Amino acid sequence: MTQNLYHNKTLQWLFYLFAFGVIGAVPLISDDAFLLNQLAVYGVYGMLAVSISLCWGSGGILNMGQAIAFGLGAYCMAMTMQMQTQAEGTIPPFMLNNGLDALPWIWEPFRDTTTGIMLAVLVPTVFYLIFGGIMFTARVSGPFFAILTLATLSAFGTIFVDLQPYTNGVNGISPPGSLNLGETEIDPYSSGAYWFVFGLLVLCTVGAKLINQSRFGLVVRALKDDPERVRFLGYNVAIYETLVYTLSGLIAAIAGCSFAVLTQYVSPAQFDVGFSISIVIWAALGGRNSLIWAMFGAFTVQGAQSYVGDQFLNTWILILGFSFILVVRFLPGGFAGLVEAVLGRVARSDSQTDAASVDFSKAKEAAK
Amino acid sequence: MIGGFFRVENIEKSFGGNKVINGFCLDVAENTLQCLVGPNGAGKTTMIDLISGRQKPDAGKVYLNGDDITGQGEHEISRKGIGRKFQIPAVLKGLTVRENLEVAYSREVNPLRNMFVMKATGCAEKLDEISRQVRLTERLNVEAGLLSHGETQWLEIGMVLMQDPAILLLDEPVAGMTENEIGLTVDILNKLKRTHTIILVEHDMGFVRKIADVVTVLHMGALLAQGSIEDIEKDDRVRAVYLGTEDAH
Repeated sequence: MTQNLYHNKTLQWLFYLFAFGVIGAVPLISDDAFLLNQLAVYGVYGMLAVSISLCWGSGGILNMGQAIAFGLGAYCMAMTMQMQTQAEGTIPPFMLNNGLDALPWIWEPFRDTTTGIMLAVLVPTVFYLIFGGIMFTARVSGPFFAILTLATLSAFGTIFVDLQPYTNGVNGISPPGSLNLGETEIDPYSSGAYWFVFGLLVLCTVGAKLINQSRFGLVVRALKDDPERVRFLGYNVAIYETLVYTLSGLIAAIAGCSFAVLTQYVSPAQFDVGFSISIVIWAALGGRNSLIWAMFGAFTVQGAQSYVGDQFLNTWILILGFSFILVVRFLPGGFAGLVEAVLGRVARSDSQTDAASVDFSKAKEAAK
Repeated sequence: MIGGFFRVENIEKSFGGNKVINGFCLDVAENTLQCLVGPNGAGKTTMIDLISGRQKPDAGKVYLNGDDITGQGEHEISRKGIGRKFQIPAVLKGLTVRENLEVAYSREVNPLRNMFVMKATGCAEKLDEISRQVRLTERLNVEAGLLSHGETQWLEIGMVLMQDPAILLLDEPVAGMTENEIGLTVDILNKLKRTHTIILVEHDMGFVRKIADVVTVLHMGALLAQGSIEDIEKDDRVRAVYLGTEDAH
């Protein structure tokens, strides 16, 4: 039997090299600042889709509240950027409007850029570690877990609206300047910012892929099938689930930070339930079992929304919903599943027409 | 220190006031195959659940090599060296046969360390040996969900063996197999019992006769009789409760 090329690990890495090569080369072709910024934001969406693919595709943990980590990361980053522009002793203007006369303690750590960025990554990750730990040791799973993440996300959105003096409520935070790292300013409309986000996207995707290929990833894929069985093999399933969920939160947190840097604006819309569910849809359309295809799913849907969706106005959401139904019904593996099936058919027709190649592959097996 | 290799003492378990296991005791010697038999509802599978940690006993103790392992979590008991095969074969259907065996090779269970391991040391050799033992060398790249029923049973026995457990708990390993497959399984088990300790739950006395070193009869959650298959078949009480009900079928 000829191997399905889709499962060939070397080819998978070559495909990564090719895809990221193309994506990374964009600023060499275009210097349209608006386009670069927009594509970089797609990169952020790509990271989110990768994070969902890691916990839902690999671990079977359907997480509809991925915007929790995204929003927390984005807010912490925006707070850091806001404080960078604040002169010593002054506080952000919206606080004055809301009756505060001193910087609240929760803002204090963000005075320092390094601490602020570390918090932007750590706060969501630690939250996921604790939340996941509590849920998975209690063996909460499947739809129950999905609903709990959704409810928690919704609660976060409400809290951030309600704490107006600290978060500027529905208006959100819009830092007046872009992020400065030491002496360098990251201009969100530059190829530098594009490559910065691109680098993070590659790091997250390749890191997630390596984790998927490790023994940790093998156990995670096994517990997606049957957690009970894996427990009897001696693995502490709750810890594995918590960690894969936390890692996906870490990626979403990095996406949140990048988003704040690129858009210089955060609001409770980052905790929006609809947005959070659309992350799941990107991954489902692209193929949740494949990190890179989930990323393509995000690019496709968001790209289509920007360039085609405008013409359809509100009908766009119906088109999106309908295509989701079509994929679930006819392409459960998403685009990735389609590619896998096509390559599988090629492999089968090869082995039928070319008997010699079968013998050859058998001889190669035997020689191993 | 409690003597003996594996020992179960006065285990009791009730479900909703209904006593299912009633002071059951068991001693198993190393490298023997001990069959747990009994009519439907005697509490055989419950006993396996209690030993492997899926259920916690209300009273009584379980000792392995003198260590008290009563009431620990499934993964802890598994790490102590008790491997279990389920009554309804539980393999990981979405993974290939090879991946199933690789997951079962659970020498290192620490998730953080496992993130940095691509190939476990010694796994390939063990996988080679075990897949030959359970006759699945030709099927390693097949998705486990596509195996025949008999192959699925063998794969699960293989998974338990990959764990290299001190004791194998096999719950009805030949259920649903063809005559031919049962014959092959008898060969596999008779080879295994020279080097492994096996506790096997079974219904079918014909199969028990071909493999058992010691037979333990469980009735109403308590030990009814224990001994060689010849002794058990001569025992009048066993005939009354077990073989008697068999005749009634």
